[in-house]
Amino acid sequence: MKKIYLLCSQGMSTSLLASMMQDCANQHKLPIEIIAYPHGKLPSIIEKQSLPDAILLGPQVKYLLEETRERFEDLRIPILLINQDDYGMLNSEKILKRTLIAMKENKEKRNHESIDDI
Amino acid sequence: MFNKLEGILMPIADKLGKNRVLIAIRDGFLISTPLLIVGSIFLLIANFPIPGWSETIASFAGEGWEAWFTNVSRATFNLTGLLTCLGTGYAFARELKGDKIQGAVVSLVAFVILTNTRIGSIPGVILEEGSIAAENGIDGLAFQFIGADGIFMGLVCSLLSVLIFTWVYKKGWTIKMPKGVPPAVADSFAALVPSAFVMTIFFVARILFGMTSFETAHQFVLEILQTPLKGMGDTLAANAIYSFACTFLWFFGINGPAVANSVYFIGNVLTIEQLAAFEAGKALPYIFTNPFSNFFCNFGGGGSTLSLVIVMLLFCKSQRIRQLGKLSIVPGIFGINEPIIFGLPVVLNPIIAIPFILVPMMNLFLSYFATLWEIIPRTTGVNLPWTTPIGFSGWLSTGSPMASIWQFFLLFLGCCVYFPFIKALDKQYLKEEMEASDDIEEEISFDDLDFDDL
Repeated sequence: MKKIYLLCSQGMSTSLLASMMQDCANQHKLPIEIIAYPHGKLPSIIEKQSLPDAILLGPQVKYLLEETRERFEDLRIPILLINQDDYGMLNSEKILKRTLIAMKENKEKRNHESIDDI
Repeated sequence: MFNKLEGILMPIADKLGKNRVLIAIRDGFLISTPLLIVGSIFLLIANFPIPGWSETIASFAGEGWEAWFTNVSRATFNLTGLLTCLGTGYAFARELKGDKIQGAVVSLVAFVILTNTRIGSIPGVILEEGSIAAENGIDGLAFQFIGADGIFMGLVCSLLSVLIFTWVYKKGWTIKMPKGVPPAVADSFAALVPSAFVMTIFFVARILFGMTSFETAHQFVLEILQTPLKGMGDTLAANAIYSFACTFLWFFGINGPAVANSVYFIGNVLTIEQLAAFEAGKALPYIFTNPFSNFFCNFGGGGSTLSLVIVMLLFCKSQRIRQLGKLSIVPGIFGINEPIIFGLPVVLNPIIAIPFILVPMMNLFLSYFATLWEIIPRTTGVNLPWTTPIGFSGWLSTGSPMASIWQFFLLFLGCCVYFPFIKALDKQYLKEEMEASDDIEEEISFDDLDFDDL
């Protein structure tokens, strides 16, 4: 099961998008769990060992993107900003696809890196 | 020009979003907010705004049934000072990457060190002469220090004590245990020296305050910080600035209230004091409580966009606006409007910016005067979730159905203000839609994805 976390300031509006993305994933029988959280809760959630495989930020907390990336650099997962238009029109399918592609690219990158390490 | 402004605002929002003290204060309040909401509901049941409510329940539950409920509500808002102190201490220790629970309790202890713990010595309290209480004294914490009046004190104590605690801790001035000692035991010793620093400093502070004309640190914080800030917070000017800051930030796609509330937390204090006055049956002291700004200035989220969504659904013709209207009406009723903000968009849209800033400002001014002229009563401070729908929110937060009618009146006025602007945008979109040919999105199929690649 892959986990995608959606973040905005209170986890309210992203919860709407998260549930739509979840529907979309379920329809295609993808083993993905999509959950919305308030941004401030993220550190305590990650402490509790439920690590996400990707983090998406709503455009309304764009200003937190850099901080989030710095803070969770060690997780080596894609941390993305949701495109404003897609967010507004709740294009859940498109956002989900973009996330999956980013996750795929990230995995490839990590594989390369670990080969370099050897 | 917008790019330039955005270039200025983003770093400010970023700084505020990163500031550890502001995060700690915000999260500290977040810890007590659910409790205050539940407490408010208990208070609401005890004072439900229906004539004859109290008598009806009393007919089978017996006289004085309200006390069962107010006991619960008092247990939350008469402790807000302590709760704020604990919550902020915890959050600040987390932000400083220190020991969280230790940070929370050391804040609490620091707070109590500065508090009057002898009931007989509290100003304004006189014990009957010759009574056992007067002779032996009564030890205890008075609600007057740990409730709403203690909120700032709680903030100051928790921030200072956690700062000292983690500073000493990180200096490495701790008692180290040899290997083999269980970690929990070692931790308890590790907190020893930092705690001693905090407690000694607060001990000295208490003595020093005793020598001043304030007599106690509580009195000092109350007079120097809390009272002036409260006075400022309860003015139309401050709230107009707040309203403008929120909508202006939204215009750049930044969550306005999230940024503004990290600085403007005085509303919480006003709300809790209002609630305490309501519970005690005293005259309600303030106008600008959180329920006032949540339920009488904005309907359907920042920019009061519920009015806008209604106009979009009833009068607009372009595909884009109609579809967005259908998407946004249900979230809008519950005060969520990000689809509108980013989908319409409001962001960097100079046409919509005018009513988006204007309508909440108009609501603020009109509701203020309506309260002053007693068209609607003051909010009771009862803390409802900000997602409570229009109509219910006005009635429950003031206890008067008139307030609901007022809300719908403002909603209608908002529709009128938004109408010409959204029609202009609608025309523009219609034209674009006529001209646009369908462009095809690059397609990725879910079925082609191999899950091992993720």
